[in-house]
Amino acid sequence: MIFAERMLKIDRRIIFLVIGLCTLLPLLYPVGLPIKISPEVRGVYDYIESLPEGSVFLLSLDFDPASKPELHPQSISLLRHAFRKNLRVVAMTLWVSGTGMADQVVTQVAREMGKENGKDYVFLGWSPGGTAVIMNMGQDLYGAFPADYNGKPTKGLPVLQGIANLRDVTYAVSLGAGNPGVEAWYVFGKDKYKFELGGGCTGVMAPGLYPLLRSGQINGLIGGLRGAAEYETLIGQKGKAIAGMDAQSATHLAIIVLVILCNLFYFSLRRQSAQ
Amino acid sequence: MPIETIIGAWVATGLTLFIFSFLYKDNPLFKLAENLYVGVSVGYTIVKTYDTVIVHLIWTPIVKNGEWALLIPVSIGMLMLTRYVPKAAWLSRYAFAFIVGVGSGLAIPRVISSYILKQIEDTVRPLLVMVPGEGLSFTWNLLNPASSLNTIIILIGVSSVLFYFFFSVEHTGLGKVVARTGILFLMIAFGAAFGYTVMARMSLLIGRLTDLIEFTDLSYGRPSLWLLGLTILTLVVMSRRASHKPEEE
Amino acid sequence: MIFLRRQVPLLITLITGLVFAAQYYIPHPASEQMLTSVTKWLQIIGGFALVLGVSSLFHVHAIKIRRKEAGWGYSFVLYVSMLGTIAVGLWSNGKEAVDGAMTSFGWIYNFMMVPLQGTMFAILAFFIASAAYRSFRARSREAAVLLIAAVIVMMGRVPLGEYLIPLSGDLSQWILNVLNASVRRAILIGVSLGTVALSIKIIFGMERSYLGGGKE
Repeated sequence: MIFAERMLKIDRRIIFLVIGLCTLLPLLYPVGLPIKISPEVRGVYDYIESLPEGSVFLLSLDFDPASKPELHPQSISLLRHAFRKNLRVVAMTLWVSGTGMADQVVTQVAREMGKENGKDYVFLGWSPGGTAVIMNMGQDLYGAFPADYNGKPTKGLPVLQGIANLRDVTYAVSLGAGNPGVEAWYVFGKDKYKFELGGGCTGVMAPGLYPLLRSGQINGLIGGLRGAAEYETLIGQKGKAIAGMDAQSATHLAIIVLVILCNLFYFSLRRQSAQ
Repeated sequence: MPIETIIGAWVATGLTLFIFSFLYKDNPLFKLAENLYVGVSVGYTIVKTYDTVIVHLIWTPIVKNGEWALLIPVSIGMLMLTRYVPKAAWLSRYAFAFIVGVGSGLAIPRVISSYILKQIEDTVRPLLVMVPGEGLSFTWNLLNPASSLNTIIILIGVSSVLFYFFFSVEHTGLGKVVARTGILFLMIAFGAAFGYTVMARMSLLIGRLTDLIEFTDLSYGRPSLWLLGLTILTLVVMSRRASHKPEEE
Repeated sequence: MIFLRRQVPLLITLITGLVFAAQYYIPHPASEQMLTSVTKWLQIIGGFALVLGVSSLFHVHAIKIRRKEAGWGYSFVLYVSMLGTIAVGLWSNGKEAVDGAMTSFGWIYNFMMVPLQGTMFAILAFFIASAAYRSFRARSREAAVLLIAAVIVMMGRVPLGEYLIPLSGDLSQWILNVLNASVRRAILIGVSLGTVALSIKIIFGMERSYLGGGKE
């Protein structure tokens, strides 16, 4: 009895240590278990795979540095895939603190794939207003973003040729960490302007987006680091997401063991106090 | 490796470890990093807002392109700022009235269309599927979310949860059975949400530790290892000093 | 005076609310042009709203420093870092990189803001583990159901779990796509009905808390 009680009141710093080790050790000594692909992630991948060359792909990186570990790998994989398919990439962000990160990832992947700014892709940057930006882009893209992030006027850019507003976008994917995110892109974007929409999100947001996935309002969902790892597997380019999967497995197992132990101690304590 | 990257690696590692030191105990290192975080974030937001709003959305269109109509939102924005002047604070009501009125007006039909109509439409899908050549059929596959069996389960789930939240009617008799079903569905969904939250939080930690491991590399001068030692030393010294003070008193 | 202070704002809300709710259903070019202009205005107003949010922070910490309250040194750090970031940012013209080369503003962003914000949220991982151990007990039947669902999902969403127990992967997929989707759908419908009802109340002046500022 005393043992169970003592174990239930254990110093939380020991639990911190357990979690720290479960995260650190698999990162230093990876195993590399196979990753099964879920239909949600396949939905986004298959759709991009089916797009003809020159289609307009809008990627909205709606996250800040707090969600970088989950959504940054997703953005890298999506950009690599889009550039590989020679799509016209229009990138932007609705979150002010994510602007620097978004600019960096687009520039980095574009350079890696040999793409030219203004011709193959454009980074529009950030604009305040959240949902107002989406609606304004739906009405007139050049009104919402008169210039790209580097100050070049958007009217006349080869990559935006023939695009007046969101109705001319073939596929849009929003990588959202909260509001504004995937839901805002649907309610204020796809609902009226009828482009195809896919979503990527953090693990916290993912369960809440399943109704939209089931009703076909979004055609795919890349959820959290696991979703990013699945996408990396699909495009055949390993990145930080796959590298983090072993640590993810270890920490989940640790939490499950902790929860089971806590319940075992709790029930033994209850049984003994009933006696 | 350029010198600013090396210095940056040391600063980033130091700040990361200062925040991690909170796990041992709340201490001045953590408080320093915490306030630095708020200061830098707010400063960044201000710079970006100034650059985007004032330079690109207001100054350039009005002065260079002559879009004088944009003076209207500028004046509405200025009205909003009168909130801080006690005598004129009532003027800010006009600005808020405009913003809230437009926001509500824009949101109502869009929310009804996206979240209510479309969602109900997908819930009341036909239970029997017409397969060409075979007539009507009922699909049993649990793994396919669009199968007929799953459509029934979704229908039961949506209705029982909606009924559970309907508190104007007493949950007795048949109502109690429906409400209890609703609670069961809710608990499963919350369990799934908890599982995903755990996954998300662990991913964030994995991301930070990946960066720390990257900074143990010799090309940066191994900041992770040196600064880890320094942080542990500082924490030990601080806790020694804290335990000596009450002894003196 | 009351007319100007109370009735006119409510009138503005009523008119703008009705006009823009109706706009959705009127595809006439003039109505679309009105929507384009107003959404552009909202972007600019949104910028001013950010200023509003930030200035309250200025205010709180300025008072702390002036009164030399406990911990005012940290408020000082906050102020200095904020002003320093603004100075560097304006000097770099608000750009983090010019032609691929990182500016000092970009340095602050990459080596201070990103690690600070990332780590603040990363330590939550430790707290969720400790909280799960201390309070995630199957005290009742409902709690047990929650627990089992959580364990299945945690197991089924990692490669190790799918490797050890392949059924957990399929089961967690079913839980997410069918059970979880139905509950979230019900919550979405319910919350949206509430939002629409609140918006209608605001437009018709039955809900006035958003006005704030000044008497009445």
